[in-house]
Amino acid sequence: MRRQFKNTVMDLALHEDRIVMILGDVSVYLFKDFQEKYPNRFYNMGISENTLISVGAGLSAMGFYPFVHTIAPFITERSYEQIKLDMCYNRFGGNIVSCGASFDYAWDGATHHAYTDLAILRLLPGMEVIQPGSTRELDILLRSQYNNGNPTYFRLSDHPHHVDVPVEFGRGVALKDTGAAVTVMTAGPLLGNVLEACRDLPVNLVYFHTLKPIDTELIRRFRDTRTVVVHDAFGLKEAVCEVPDLRVVFHGMQDAFCASYGTLHDIRRQLGLDPAGIREFVSGVVQRCGPYHQEGKIFL
Amino acid sequence: MKTTCKEIRKQILHIAKESGHGHIPTCFSIVEILCAVYSTLRHDPRDPLWEKRDLFILSKGHGALAHYCVLGRWGYFDPERVHALGAFRSDFGCHADRFKIPGIEASTGSLGHGIGLAVGMALALKIDRSERRVMTLIGDGEANEGSVWEALLVAANLGLPNLTVIYDDNRSHSRGLQILNPAEKLRAFGCEVTEADGHDVEALKAALRHRGKYMQAIVARTCKGCGCPTFVGSPYEWHRRSPNDDEYRMLLEELDAQAV
Repeated sequence: MRRQFKNTVMDLALHEDRIVMILGDVSVYLFKDFQEKYPNRFYNMGISENTLISVGAGLSAMGFYPFVHTIAPFITERSYEQIKLDMCYNRFGGNIVSCGASFDYAWDGATHHAYTDLAILRLLPGMEVIQPGSTRELDILLRSQYNNGNPTYFRLSDHPHHVDVPVEFGRGVALKDTGAAVTVMTAGPLLGNVLEACRDLPVNLVYFHTLKPIDTELIRRFRDTRTVVVHDAFGLKEAVCEVPDLRVVFHGMQDAFCASYGTLHDIRRQLGLDPAGIREFVSGVVQRCGPYHQEGKIFL
Repeated sequence: MKTTCKEIRKQILHIAKESGHGHIPTCFSIVEILCAVYSTLRHDPRDPLWEKRDLFILSKGHGALAHYCVLGRWGYFDPERVHALGAFRSDFGCHADRFKIPGIEASTGSLGHGIGLAVGMALALKIDRSERRVMTLIGDGEANEGSVWEALLVAANLGLPNLTVIYDDNRSHSRGLQILNPAEKLRAFGCEVTEADGHDVEALKAALRHRGKYMQAIVARTCKGCGCPTFVGSPYEWHRRSPNDDEYRMLLEELDAQAV
């Protein structure tokens, strides 16, 4: 997905001379083409996440479109106040593009895991929060949002799904709408596992790449069903619950650090977010609710 | 200019008394600095968003009352409006909102933010090969924040002679984390440093007019509460306190008796 990020930015830069790349000593080699072609708009500012955001806001104040890029937990959690005040409160918007989503850097341990970013950024007024699941989603959403003046968070993953879904900022997608009593909602790259897990289960399936603004109209369509949010981060469940009176259960993160290393797949398995784990959880909900929606048949 | 500064201090004192808000000793520390800044900046109070203007950010946002009084003095708005300081629905808060006050380039309050923003603005002007410049005023207490020094490291690396950092050395850090010899530290972080009497407008103006090869830092030696011995003697007691009627009269007398 990082390569797609670079390709899209290179393409945009052909016709846009207000793009500035600000790297936190990450993806520097990847962006060498940009650096060679636009040396006065490429800056590796080192490991200084607070300043990366403030400088991005300052550039935005002067009419540039900054892309601030480094590792997810550091640019979001460490620089939260800079995002809140310099970008959001001052309305000096810009693009924050992170890598290392959820457990992409599983082997690096809990310091490098990133699963609160989506949830905390959703809380900031004016912030747009995007979790592209595929390279195509990233490409389309970058092009549509990069220069709108708002602070926008793009969360890149090294493990994109390969499902072709309609992509429009702020719009979710009903991938399956069969009148089932249970609706599974997910977001981002985990869609691959969710689709595999639910392929032959009697559930509706709703997918999001934009977590803020969340597509409340789409969620309302399924408000009479039991909603199962399956996600490898915090933030989607909270977004879905913007629609009142939903009956929602969450399958994913727990209130605990993940102390394991290994790979993304190891951690997903540990959390029950591999296809088998998701299937087991969703099947349990389906068993209790029945396959098809009827008044009075939802017990969970 | 001395008369102007004295009048501004009286206005600060009066508004603080009437509103019950304002950080008076902090504001008294930066009156001459702000007057020197607005005497040096290329700006037009009748056109606050003039595209060729220089930019000033008050990073130590709790000096907003002094900033308002100076902006009002320079004609950005009717100074009488500042009397509503801190009131519900007032445009003038204890920390400034850039969407409400003409002349405010960035809303500040949490310390250690203005300098990073200023670095970004200065970088933007460098990319555009613009002659415009950026000034920011930070406090010595604020310089306890790591983000100040991180932003300076980045600025030095970027090479920004269009950036001036004014360091209000009023020793407000003395009861917390002390920063000894700030000029030496700023120099070590890549600044071209000038030291000046922070209550001498002409000396400050001369320092601000200087354009060198590197980013500039001006260490302004100031006195917290300058103008009233009562504040100078007890700046922490008065950090966020407004005077009652008797105290107000006494403080006005002190101001009148002072040379500055």
